[in-house]
Amino acid sequence: MGLTVKDRLRAKLKADHTVVRILLAHPMHTGRGKDEVDTLIPVEFIQDIRCWRNEDEVLSIKCGTATARNPYFSFQLVGGEQGDKITVRWVDNIGAKGLSETIVK
Amino acid sequence: MDNINKQRRTLLKGAISASTLALVAASGLLLPQRLLAHWPSDAFTAETVEDALLALLGEAEVVDDDALWFKVGSPPSYAVNGATVPIQLQSKLENIERIAIIVEKNPNPLAMSFDLSPACQLPLKSMIKIAEDSNVMAVIRAEGRLYKTTRFVEVDIGGCA
Repeated sequence: MGLTVKDRLRAKLKADHTVVRILLAHPMHTGRGKDEVDTLIPVEFIQDIRCWRNEDEVLSIKCGTATARNPYFSFQLVGGEQGDKITVRWVDNIGAKGLSETIVK
Repeated sequence: MDNINKQRRTLLKGAISASTLALVAASGLLLPQRLLAHWPSDAFTAETVEDALLALLGEAEVVDDDALWFKVGSPPSYAVNGATVPIQLQSKLENIERIAIIVEKNPNPLAMSFDLSPACQLPLKSMIKIAEDSNVMAVIRAEGRLYKTTRFVEVDIGGCA
């Protein structure tokens, strides 16, 4: 087996906003790529990513196949304070799911 | 005759309650799938920019706007590897509802769409795949209008495999 990679999630408090960075571990196959023996790799990509701050949903991202491998997103949240809980959930087209949580630093 | 009718009635009743139960069970079972159901497949599988825009953002007045600051590639407008092209979007617009990133020459032009709540603000950064030299568009829907900006990107190695 290869290396097991984990989703990474960082949230940092700045002067008047919180910067959230998401790095998900996912191959994001488009269904057009081929492997070493020239067979098509079936389509497998993350479709829906949602982000919560504490109990409120703040962002929802819908992805197509044109999202790069190991999807990376960075965005800002208005305000915030240390200790806020940031939650990210994703689901891909074959139903695999992921959940990661972090505390704002 | 009466007896048969009665039987028929109870049979019907049974059938109806059974089907209602089945419906409830089905909807209960479907709950974890709700996330998937929200994925706008017609927009993401559209093969032209117009179809994708229409399916995702609806019809609205499109404004070519300088209020958006959009950077694709690094250095800007150039990408060695089309499989990971950094994008960065900044804007002064307020009340942004939705953002779409569209790559004109990709097999399915719509790359990603963001639904922002008021608590979320730009700048936004991500990575996309670009198949060949192409225009990349960022479209923002805010207050019923669409703000569009386009950048042309040169790609050395196509990245839609």
